[in-house]
Amino acid sequence: MADLLSTSVSGLLAFQQALDVTSNNISNAATPGYSVETANFSEAPGQSTGIGFLGSGVDVHSITRNYNEFLAQQVRDSQASYSSSHTLASQAAQVDGMLSDSSTGLTATLQSFINSLQSVASTPTSTSARQALLNQAQALAQQLTSYDSQISQFGSQLETQLSSDVSQVNGITSNIASLNRQIAAESTAGQTPNQLMDQRDQLIDQLSQFVSVHTATESNGSMDVYIGTGQALVTGGNAAKLSTVPGTYNASELGIAISGGGGTPADITSEISGGELGGLLSARSQVLDPARNAIGQVSVAVATIVNQQQQSGMDMTGAQGQPMFSVGGVQVLADTNNTGSASLTVTRGALSALTTDDYKLQNTGGTWQLTDVTTGQSVAMSGDGSLANPFQAAGLSIVTGSGAASGDSFLIQPTAAATGGFAVSLTRPAQIAAASLVQGTTGSSNTGGATVSVASVTDPSAWVSDTYTVTFGAGNAYTVKNSGGTQVASGTYSSGTPISFAGTQLSLSGSPANGDTFTVGPNNPANTGDNGNILAMSDALQASALSGGTASVTGSANSLISQIGVITQQAQSNATAQQTVNQNATTARNNVSGVNLDQEAAKMLQYQQAYQAMAQVIQASNQMFTSLITAIGNG
Amino acid sequence: MIAVPISTTTFQTNALNSIEALETALSKTQTQLSTGSKIQTAADDPTGMAQVNELNMQLSASQQYVSNGNLATANLNLETQALTDATNLMQSVRDLAVEANNAALSASQRQDIATQLSQQLQQLVAIGNRTDSNGNYLFGGYASSTQPFAQNGNSVSYGGAGQVSQVQISENQRISAGDTGSSVFMNLPAGNGTFTTAAGAGNTGTASIGPGSVTNPSQWVPDTYTITFSDPTDYTVTDSSGATVTTGTYDGAAGGTIAFNGIQVTVNGSPAAGDTLTVAPAGQTSAFATLSSLVTTLSSTTLSTGQIATQIGQAIEQIDGAINNLGNVSASVGGRLNAVTASQSAAQSRQTGLKTSISNLSSTDYAAATTQLSTEEIALQAAEESYASLAKLSLFNYVS
Repeated sequence: MADLLSTSVSGLLAFQQALDVTSNNISNAATPGYSVETANFSEAPGQSTGIGFLGSGVDVHSITRNYNEFLAQQVRDSQASYSSSHTLASQAAQVDGMLSDSSTGLTATLQSFINSLQSVASTPTSTSARQALLNQAQALAQQLTSYDSQISQFGSQLETQLSSDVSQVNGITSNIASLNRQIAAESTAGQTPNQLMDQRDQLIDQLSQFVSVHTATESNGSMDVYIGTGQALVTGGNAAKLSTVPGTYNASELGIAISGGGGTPADITSEISGGELGGLLSARSQVLDPARNAIGQVSVAVATIVNQQQQSGMDMTGAQGQPMFSVGGVQVLADTNNTGSASLTVTRGALSALTTDDYKLQNTGGTWQLTDVTTGQSVAMSGDGSLANPFQAAGLSIVTGSGAASGDSFLIQPTAAATGGFAVSLTRPAQIAAASLVQGTTGSSNTGGATVSVASVTDPSAWVSDTYTVTFGAGNAYTVKNSGGTQVASGTYSSGTPISFAGTQLSLSGSPANGDTFTVGPNNPANTGDNGNILAMSDALQASALSGGTASVTGSANSLISQIGVITQQAQSNATAQQTVNQNATTARNNVSGVNLDQEAAKMLQYQQAYQAMAQVIQASNQMFTSLITAIGNG
Repeated sequence: MIAVPISTTTFQTNALNSIEALETALSKTQTQLSTGSKIQTAADDPTGMAQVNELNMQLSASQQYVSNGNLATANLNLETQALTDATNLMQSVRDLAVEANNAALSASQRQDIATQLSQQLQQLVAIGNRTDSNGNYLFGGYASSTQPFAQNGNSVSYGGAGQVSQVQISENQRISAGDTGSSVFMNLPAGNGTFTTAAGAGNTGTASIGPGSVTNPSQWVPDTYTITFSDPTDYTVTDSSGATVTTGTYDGAAGGTIAFNGIQVTVNGSPAAGDTLTVAPAGQTSAFATLSSLVTTLSSTTLSTGQIATQIGQAIEQIDGAINNLGNVSASVGGRLNAVTASQSAAQSRQTGLKTSISNLSSTDYAAATTQLSTEEIALQAAEESYASLAKLSLFNYVS
């Protein structure tokens, strides 16, 4: 009898506990991170009797949570990928949105500027056309600098977010560490603090929104968290601190360092992948920096081409043209760890060799090595880095000076700072050099049919102002003499090929005869209707002057727009794909760990019925006892 | 199929996720419809965006070329008008010269003609100094702000430039926006283009020499030749070194031609013994110089009749040359006007093509977008309705 009662009581207790678990499951059906719990029944130990082992009821030997580590890791991995792509996509979308406007975008503004040149060419003496050109130049400068400052703004927002993410990560990891300590303390053989473990899993889920992590469980139940290639963020009850550190070259571009257990923080920026942190770092290196460099290249190209042509021309006052635009120089950033005293002087050379990449110049045992940071390739240099013979590479001229220590390095950004200094330096319409700096004249006593078609300055730095006389001899041979009678060039004329000397070019139409002369000299200030130079400027801006002669200025601007578009589109579609993967992984995990209310309702009914049945057994036991007493009493 | 229990949260989240995805798609389609553009940013279609940008630049450039062409047309039309006026003026100058080329006219009658010609010289200078609507001189070349022709007495000089500005009328076509005064009025061949003729200042006879012509260019040796009459019927031609080139006889009554070294000249009137006529290589002259020397000839009281006739004959030859040159320049201007018209009509059809391409690349296909919008609407409605009805299902509804 006593057995019957105690067996029944064990059942009552067990089903009550099971109903408690079910009730807890139902109450937590909507709790994030909650893993459904199961009351695990086991048969109570039997008692040996003559007829064999007699069961003594039921025990709830454990309450376990339904949890699959593999599925949980899949959720985290996909979460980290999704956060990363999503962050990159939203950062890229800012730049994409800024650049994408086919009616007011960069290509449209550049074309308007070229059209304004054409308008001045059509009416070179019109002050209003010249003023319109200056206004258009101003509009171009405003657009370029506005792009540049917006990118800087995106950049500083990105750095702020990076810092805030790092402090959130620190908050999460210290919570994980403290949960680890509690879990280790409270875990007993076979029994785990499910609630704490749910909390910890949820924190690791949150962590994977910020950075890609992987985990390892220790025997005491605590969980170690690693990032990158195995840097421990959490080891048992200890959390390493992440911090932001100024970049070694550019102090405003933050890096991420880790410090665990004292010592100097180690820079792990290159180890970070996935999550918001990974997305932000990718956005900086794949979107913001390249966009700034590409816009810088457009600024450099416009300024170089237009200024060179201005200086090849004569303005309305009869003076040699002045540069129309100012532009920022090459940015050189020294590694903060440099021990030597050398400082570089870097200037731009040939426009067609200039790239949008950044370069690192490193001294190793006195030998300088240039590396393209963007591609990782080393770049061959000519020259020796001295003032007389600078290093020449990638459209740059580098003077290293002295005092470099081995291991010193410098980051060279050819175009990054160009747009910041881009401005219109002309103020008056008359300063636009529409006319050529020189004019060619056909000798009055020439007997051949040749006339001057174009005389122009092609290299203003080589032009020495003087009147040069080209005299033809027999067989199209010619000599060029300056006003002092000194011969400066000679050659044999071939029809269609311009005669070049002293930074100028003289093109003839028709055939010169023996004894014919042509002169090239300073243009007449009265030639205000000369539009030769401004037409040449329009041509030069549309010519393929960039990227080794394969891209025009407008072409480069256009390919920047589509490149950012491609990056944004890829990041967006990656984000969408990773979102689906994440949703599927979450579904798979929740199918194991989530609460199904129908299932709980069924279990509730099951346990309720079992509880009621147990109560019936007790009542039966009571009736049996009563019948027995009654039988004895009546006897 | 194996039944896998789906957690209640998953059911809710999945339903919401799909509704959200449909709403995003719907909003995107709606934006395409409301903006009329299927590319909002480059990320929507990077290649398409790059093409649209490129085509827009071409369109903008093409519109600029059309406006350049309009400016060129305006200037060339003004130039055509000036050339026509100059031609008419030179024609009337020629009529006056022909009228003056009459030995029967008295000195005062010639002076009257000279006075008329002086006025016409001023008119011709005025035509050469005409300006366009912006006050730029039509014939100044590069020096378009400086008055190209200056008249000092009967002498007219050109102060303009030797080159004219070019106007870009299409991507790869440039035309001269005008012509220099030097090419229109100044650099004209003197005489008949090969040689000039003159009657000796001390001639006592009445012989005059016509402008002559070249009969065989390969035999012509440029030099100054003197035709000396030893008597009224016999002449000797000598070159500049005094060597005799040819000799012959001249019939004064009938007039006659003298031919040597691939040229021939017509001599009229009666030479006296010792009279000379000269033939010299042609240099250059200008329409103004021709006109002003004609005035000088007609105003002169000292020239012999032979000299007057010779100089008027030469002037008429040079006026014809000037008219001929004006005609050539006019034809060239007409050719340029045609080029502008042709390039503008090409630009029109090109712009239409460009606009169509831009529209094809970037404009919303309304039929397709509208269909898509209604498909997405139906899908969203179905998702919402099915969610609403499924969410009601729970075993707890039946537990009492």
